[in-house]
Order: sequence, then C-alpha cells, then structure tokens
Amino acid sequence: MTYSGRCACGAVTLQIKGAPVGTRQCWCRQCQQIAAGGPSHNAIFPSEAVSIAGPLRHSTWTTASGNTLTHHFCPSCGTQVYAQSSARPHLMTVRFGVIDEPHGLRPEVVIWTDEAPAWACIDPALERWPGQPPAPAPTPPPAG
Amino acid sequence: MAQEGGCLCGRVRFSISAEPVGARMCWCRDCQRIASGSPTVNVLFPEEAAAFEGGLGTFRMTADSGNTVERGFCPTCGAQIYSRTVEPPATQPIRIRAGTLDDPGLMAPTAYIWAASAPHWAPFDPALPRYTQGPGSPMMEPGNDL
Repeated sequence: MTYSGRCACGAVTLQIKGAPVGTRQCWCRQCQQIAAGGPSHNAIFPSEAVSIAGPLRHSTWTTASGNTLTHHFCPSCGTQVYAQSSARPHLMTVRFGVIDEPHGLRPEVVIWTDEAPAWACIDPALERWPGQPPAPAPTPPPAG
Repeated sequence: MAQEGGCLCGRVRFSISAEPVGARMCWCRDCQRIASGSPTVNVLFPEEAAAFEGGLGTFRMTADSGNTVERGFCPTCGAQIYSRTVEPPATQPIRIRAGTLDDPGLMAPTAYIWAASAPHWAPFDPALPRYTQGPGSPMMEPGNDL
C-alpha cells in the first residue's frame, strides 16, 4: 500500500509506504481551530513510513494528558500535514486532507466528542470516545 | 453585537461588527485539503464588517466555482481563518471558519455545498439541503443520512 499527497498550494508533497495503524476523527477544540471548524481526520502511520518533501513549519500545544502535540503545516498555505505526540514519536498522524484521492481511508474511531459543537453530525456507527482514547499499540520492533 | 475569534496560537485575532448572514459546510476537494479531511464549516458575514489583526498569511487560487478566492491563515499555527472571493469582486460574503470563532456554535450550518465531492463515508444531516456544487446547484440524491 502506498499513498501520495500534497498541500493545497503544492509546496509540500508526501509519500507513504504501508497501511495506517488506525484512523480517527478528532473533535477536540484545538483540531476545530486548525481544521476550519470541523473535526480533523487522521491516519496514524509508523513514522518511518512517511516521507515529506518541501518546507514545513510547526507549532505546539500541551494536551490534557500533559504531552506536547506538535503539528506541522505548509507555511505557504497553512495546510495541516501531520502531527506528532511527545509520547509517541514512533507514530505520525497524517491529515486525510493531504492524501490524494482515491485513498480508501475512512475514520474508524471518533474522539473528543464532548468538545464537538451542538450541530456536529457524527456517524453513530463509529466507536466513540468522549475524550482521549488509549494510544494505539506501538509497532513491535523487528525481531533480533 | 460583535463576534470575536482567533487562531489556535493566539497570533491572529478578529472582530466582526455584524450578525452572520448564513452558515454552510463545503465539501469541495480544496476545502478538504485545508480542513484536515473535513468540509470547511463557514459562517458568512458582510466582508466590510470583519477586521483582522496579527498579520495573516494568504494564498489565492481558482476554486471549483471558477472564482478566484483568497484563503487567510495564521502564519504561526496554520489555522485557517477565512475565505473571500476576490474575482468577481464584492459578490460574496466573507466565509469565516467556524473553528476560529470564540463561539463555534454561533450559527449551525444550514446547507452542504459541493456535496458531490464528499468522500463515500461522509455523514449528512438529512434535515439540511445538499447541493452537488455551489449554492443553488442541483440537489444530491439521498444517501448516508444519519
């Protein structure tokens, strides 16, 4: 499985090799602020699977659990490309928006529903967490 | 009453001295790119009522509508702040991204536009009109109703 992608202006491009370890829709207030009002949609990949070309800028916020969340975006158009938690540097959370269609990904889990606005339309078939769920299991290191 | 808002990091703040004139979600592919895979959720205001401070980044592009639009965002955290139509000029309200309003529940969206570009898993509120393209375009067939 490989994916390609780019930001809105094309200054940043990416290549991803392999399948995501999970996909999520996040309604936390910070995601609403950087995602134009809706939730962010995220595909979580092992960091070594993701290659990015072009300039990136980053900013951070401290999460409710005390971890630092660093989110990386294109400085020319603001498109959010990926985020990474200080607790899980082996994973990269890539925004659906930058992955070229058709990618076949869909959100499996919705998180931080307690922070969604009243008008939010959330698929009731999705696994749902009012706040932060447990972290995805880390990818086991290679044998030997 | 003025509406206030800003970006995630606090660099950009804005004030709008008018009531919203509409709210809608846009599923065009360009919006999905800047909205982390969601539709942009936009609250519409008269453009002249909006005042921004902090120094915004902008980029211009030709939208699926054929219009030239300018996207405004925070250069420090990337938060999308607005979209405005620059060509043809003075024809559209400014679209403020709902997530940057201090009260993101200020006005619930009343329609979906460019719904034909939505991904197959996109959830739709069956109570809202669903335009295939821009406002006033043909309606979508029902599907994915929640």
